[in-house]
Amino acid sequence: MPALLFWTFAAMTLVFGAAVVLNRNPIASALSLVLSFLGLAALFMGLDAFFIGIIQVLVYAGAVMVLFLFIIMLFDLRAEERRRINRVAVVGGSAVSLALFVQICLVVAELRGSHDQFPALPATRTDDVRDIGLLLFNNFNLPFQIIGVLVLVATIGVIVLSKRELR
Amino acid sequence: MIGAPMLEIAVVALGLLVLLIEAFTERTDKRAVAWIGMSGLAAVLVASFFLAPSPPPTTNGFWSFYTADSLAVFFKRFALVTTILVLIMMIDYAPIVRQTVHGATKQAGLGEFFALPLFTCAGLMWMASATDFVMIFVSLEVVTMSFYALVAFTRRNPVTLEAGVKYLILSALSTGFLVYGITWIFGATGETNLARIGDVLRDGGEQVPALFGMALVLVALGFKIAAVPFQIWVPDVYQGAPTPVTAYLSVGSKAAGFVVLLRVLEPFFVLPQTERLLVWVAALTLIYGNLAALPQTNLKRLLAYSSIAHAGYLLVGVVCLAGPAVGYYFVAYLLMTILSFAVLIVVASQSGDRIEDFNGLSRRSPFLSFAMLVAMGSLAGLPFTAGFLGKFFIFDAAIRQHQTMLLVIGVITVACGFYYYFKVIRAMYWERGSSDSTVPVSALTRYTIVALIAAILMLGVYPQPILNALRPQTAALSATR
Repeated sequence: MPALLFWTFAAMTLVFGAAVVLNRNPIASALSLVLSFLGLAALFMGLDAFFIGIIQVLVYAGAVMVLFLFIIMLFDLRAEERRRINRVAVVGGSAVSLALFVQICLVVAELRGSHDQFPALPATRTDDVRDIGLLLFNNFNLPFQIIGVLVLVATIGVIVLSKRELR
Repeated sequence: MIGAPMLEIAVVALGLLVLLIEAFTERTDKRAVAWIGMSGLAAVLVASFFLAPSPPPTTNGFWSFYTADSLAVFFKRFALVTTILVLIMMIDYAPIVRQTVHGATKQAGLGEFFALPLFTCAGLMWMASATDFVMIFVSLEVVTMSFYALVAFTRRNPVTLEAGVKYLILSALSTGFLVYGITWIFGATGETNLARIGDVLRDGGEQVPALFGMALVLVALGFKIAAVPFQIWVPDVYQGAPTPVTAYLSVGSKAAGFVVLLRVLEPFFVLPQTERLLVWVAALTLIYGNLAALPQTNLKRLLAYSSIAHAGYLLVGVVCLAGPAVGYYFVAYLLMTILSFAVLIVVASQSGDRIEDFNGLSRRSPFLSFAMLVAMGSLAGLPFTAGFLGKFFIFDAAIRQHQTMLLVIGVITVACGFYYYFKVIRAMYWERGSSDSTVPVSALTRYTIVALIAAILMLGVYPQPILNALRPQTAALSATR
């Protein structure tokens, strides 16, 4: 059963990932991306990584995709559908992605232990939210605090750049 | 005695204070905000000379992310001085901001314009201290995020808007490369801490995936320091951004990028491929930056290409692992770049930022044209200026490390540099200008320019103070050879 679920969700991730690129309509591609993300989240869940699975849904499928859809709404959709496909760009793009794919395959093949059987997951479930929280507030406290400054700077920047009339 | 981490806390607190003051005093002249920021930063700069010695690095917790060695402290001071000078330039630039910001009131946006560099400064200081990829990433993003806002700040000007969009998109792309590279390195070594990555690699860990990751990280850092082939954003962004922000980008952002580069490369110099790769990047950067600067007619664009060229000389220093030479070059680069931008702001507010707008400047303002003469002479590398000694130390290091190819390219491109920097000098002293009106200079700018000229000439004959400040870390850097 778990193997069947794995293949289902892996196929879902890949098929909808391809649909993102192949769809002419930007909204259809964006929604395919949501489904692709959901498949990925399900794969994480299958690995007992529930926290990352939920974050995947909340952050990517939720926040990031809403942002994408907003941006798409600002575009002229018909112009996008009418656009001719540039052959050179397609060939070049495929060549680059193929080269990257081959490169990654070669590097992974060199990786020690990449041919070993992976050990089975431990039966006891880990409390991942608690563990990540502890790590974040103990060992990674300094970078975590700096992210606070980062968010503040981002807030100031957004207000300065998006307000119609500054005061 | 003060702990080194207190410096950044003080700068962030200063930024928050400035924002609050700005929010609650609507009527007062907003330039007071810049003055508060400047004096606060100066106080932090003084405090940085009374640092308590930092504890040795630990395996986890605070001191595994953060170091306060002499390289870090040196570049923290560098960031503070740069930010103070940028704030001075911003005061001069305030009238242009007023014209090019959508504002309901007369001083709209000025407070934020003066407050954002403080947070950038904190980010630069954290970058100088970062010894862990997590820390590097987070602090780099603080800097980048504040530059997104600063570059596009005067958004009623379409050129600025274009610069902002280009910087945003290309910078986000480079961040993607950085994260991807870090994950590869983490996957190959199981560590994010730079020292422990070095240990793993020395013990013959997974070298190929780690190198792949390092190359990706190098793409992101190459973007930050404007090295070829990641320099495409530089000319347009430098030309379009508000001039003080351009100066900040070309000095502060680049310096922090180089510190991170020195730290990141330290563990990877165990692998011989790293050096070969860097030699080519340095050679290409030298050739491209200097040749592309030759036909420029806009001074801001010329300085953009010159900034690429200087990244090339600095990369030669990095290849030779000459920490003190790189540090000295940066001080010289800071002085001469800020000086030329300071003069540019004053002259550009009168006429424009093309080279022909400098025609006959020697008659309109002998003071400004002398300042520009010193800046350009130093950028080109005339003897008795700081720029000459900077190049001298870099080439000296190249000879010691037997980098003959880089040395030859370096010497030839310096000759190129003389041509395009002297184009500006020729315009100021030989060409006849269209107007004869004098150029007014505010008192603060006048003092700053005098101080910068004095520093360039003094360091050109007596570089010892800077070299002494950088001394103890030579041991740390040479350990990798």
